[in-house]
Amino acid sequence: MEVENFIREVLVKSLNEYMMPFPTDKKVCTEWAQDVPRGGGTVIYTGCMYQVTPVSDLFNRALPILSKVKGAEKLYPLASILKPTNMQRERANRVLRSIASMLKRNGVQFNYLYEDEPYSGTVLLELGYVDEFAQYAKRVKGHLEKHQVRRLITVDPHSYYAFSRYKEFVPFDVEVVNYLELVKDLGTRVKGEYVIHDSCLYSRFLGIRENYRSLLNNAGVKLREDPFVTGPLTSMCCGAPIGPVRRDESQKIASYRAYQLNQLGDKLIVVCPLCYLALSPYFKGEVVDLAELAYNELGTGQRDTS
Amino acid sequence: MSWIYAVERAVRNNVPKVEGILKDHPYLLDLAAKVRDGKTEVLRNLDRYVEETIKAVERSGGRAYLASTSEDAREIVSKIVGSGKTVVLGKSMVAYEAGIRKHLISTGNDVWETDLGEFLIQLADEPPSHIIAPSLHMTKERAEEVMRSVDPELKGASHERIAGVARKFLREKFVKADVGITGANAVAADTGSVVLVENEGNIRMTTILPEVHVAVTGVEKILPNLELAMYEALVQAAFGGLYPPSYVNVSSGPSSTADIEMKRVRPAHGPKEFHLVLLDNGRKEAAKDPVLWQSLLCVRCGRCHLHCPVYRVLGVNWGIPPFTGPMGAMWSAVIYGDRRPAMMCTHSGGCKEVCPMRIDIPRVLEELKARELKR
Repeated sequence: MEVENFIREVLVKSLNEYMMPFPTDKKVCTEWAQDVPRGGGTVIYTGCMYQVTPVSDLFNRALPILSKVKGAEKLYPLASILKPTNMQRERANRVLRSIASMLKRNGVQFNYLYEDEPYSGTVLLELGYVDEFAQYAKRVKGHLEKHQVRRLITVDPHSYYAFSRYKEFVPFDVEVVNYLELVKDLGTRVKGEYVIHDSCLYSRFLGIRENYRSLLNNAGVKLREDPFVTGPLTSMCCGAPIGPVRRDESQKIASYRAYQLNQLGDKLIVVCPLCYLALSPYFKGEVVDLAELAYNELGTGQRDTS
Repeated sequence: MSWIYAVERAVRNNVPKVEGILKDHPYLLDLAAKVRDGKTEVLRNLDRYVEETIKAVERSGGRAYLASTSEDAREIVSKIVGSGKTVVLGKSMVAYEAGIRKHLISTGNDVWETDLGEFLIQLADEPPSHIIAPSLHMTKERAEEVMRSVDPELKGASHERIAGVARKFLREKFVKADVGITGANAVAADTGSVVLVENEGNIRMTTILPEVHVAVTGVEKILPNLELAMYEALVQAAFGGLYPPSYVNVSSGPSSTADIEMKRVRPAHGPKEFHLVLLDNGRKEAAKDPVLWQSLLCVRCGRCHLHCPVYRVLGVNWGIPPFTGPMGAMWSAVIYGDRRPAMMCTHSGGCKEVCPMRIDIPRVLEELKARELKR
C-alpha cells in the first residue's frame, strides 16, 4: 500500500494547489489554442490530457521508488520541470487543433478556459480514490460555475467518463458531450488500411464506438477488423489505467494488446491519448490518433496513406 | 507463453460458440433475467431461504447442513464419509474452496476427481485457472504430458484420446465408489432439489452409483423454486458455451420408488443417503453489502474471464483460485477478504457486457478498490 498511499498524498496535494494531477506549466496545456475565444458557455475541454500524457509514464516509473523515500512528497512541486518533448508538444497541438478545426467546420461554436481549465479528476476515480474524487468534483463544479460553463465538449474518453459520473457525487447540470458526437465528417479522404484500437470507455461505457467507426468509414478508411480482436465484446484495454499502481502488469497488457493488433496490420488508429502512450512502444508500425488523420487548418490537406 | 496459447485457443473455441447459442436460442436471455430476479429475491432474504431449503431437503429424505466456514464443511463431510472409502468428486469449485479433496485424502480415503479438467489438475497438483474450465491453462500438449502418469504410452494424442484415458481409468473408480461428492449449479428452496448440469456424464454417475451422495455448494446457489433452479442450469450451460448440455440432473433426496402399491420408499437403485452441505464462508455477509451483493449473482459461466485483458495476460496469477478472472477479483474479496485482485482492474468493461446476470463487475471492483485504499 506504500505506493498507493504516496500517490493519494501527492495527487490530492497537487489537485488542491493546482487543479492538476501534478504541477504543470500551463503553457504546455494552452499553447495549442489559436484564435479560440476565452470564456464560458460552451467550452472545448482538453483536461490537458493530450498535452501531458506523454510524461505520465515518467511518473509511473518514479512513484514506486519515491514512495519508499521518506519526505519525497515534498519534492512533488518539482514535477513542473518535467515537460513533454518538443515533438510530443507539437503532436498534442496538432491533435487538438485538428479537433477544434473539425468542430468549427461542423458548425460548433465554443470557447476555452485556457489556464483556468481544471483537470477532471479522472485519475482519482479510475484508481479507486472515490472519496477524493467526490471532493474534487465538488471543487470543479464550483470552478465551472464561476466561469459560467454550461456545456463541456470533451476530446478524450477519460475526461468524458469522469464528467459523466460527476452527478453521482455532486448535483451537476453541465451538459457533457464528446467531439465525436458532434462531428459528422473528418473533412478529408483517407486512403489505406488501418487497424483500430477501441477506447474501452468510449466503446463499452460511453456508447460511441460506432461514432468514430462511421467517421473513418465515411472518410474512406478501410478498417481491418477481426471478431476476436476488435469486436465490441472482444476488444480489450491497453492497460494504461493501472499504470500508476501496477506498471509491470500494465505494460504486459499493452504488449499483448499491441501484439493482437499487429496480427491485423501495421497502421493503427487510436482515439485516446493514454492508448497512444501505452501501445506506441509495442506496436510495430505507425500509430495515429483519429484526429491526426483529419484535415486541419495547418493545411495538411488530404492524407493519402496508400 | 503456453498460457497465452492455451487461453487464445479456448477463446477461439468458446467465444463464437456462445454467440451462436444466444443467437439460435434467444429465449435464454429471458431465462437469464428470470434467474437474476430469483437470485436477487433469495439474496435479499437469505436466512429464510436457507432455512426453507434445509427443511425441504429433510422432507425429501435427505439431510442438510449449514457450514459457516470451510473448516466446518470439511468436518461435516468427514463425518459423513469416514475413512477407508473410495470417493469420487463430480466437480465442485466450492468443494475446492473448502479443501474437501485434500482433507479426505489426509483422513485415509481414496479420492478422485472425475471431471476431466479437475482430474488433470489433481494429477498435476495445480490450482484451477478458470471457474468452469479448471485446466484452461493447459495446452493439449501439457494435458497429454499430465495424463502420461495414467497412460505412459500417450504420445501425439488427440483431444479424444486424452479424454479416453480418463474415461477408462475413472470407470473403475465410479463402480467402486462408496461416496459421490458433487457441487450444485442451483438448489431449489421449495423442493430441496439440487440441479447439476454437465456434459461428461461424470456427475450423473457420481450422483447415482455410490450409496451416498453429498452435494457441497454455496448458499448463494439457492433459487426460490425448482423452475428457476432448472433455468439457472440452462443459463449457465449456454453462457459457458455448451448448449444444449448433455445432461441436466435433478437430485431430490435419496433414490426412491413407489412401484409397490404406489407407496414411496427409499432407497431404490441410487444412493441410500443424500446430504446437502450449504457453505457460508463470507457469502451471507456479502449478501448484506450494498455493492458486493451483486457478486453473489454469479452463475459461474466463466464468460467474463475470456473477455478480460488482465486475465488474458495473468491467468491463474490474478485472484485466489478457484476465484480467478473478473468474477474472481470480486470473490477473492467475498471469501478471503482480499481486495488486492480488484486493484488490477483496468475497467476494460467486456466482463459486464457478457455477464448473463448483468453484474456491473467494473463498478463492484471500483468499490473494492476504494475500500482497499481506505484501509
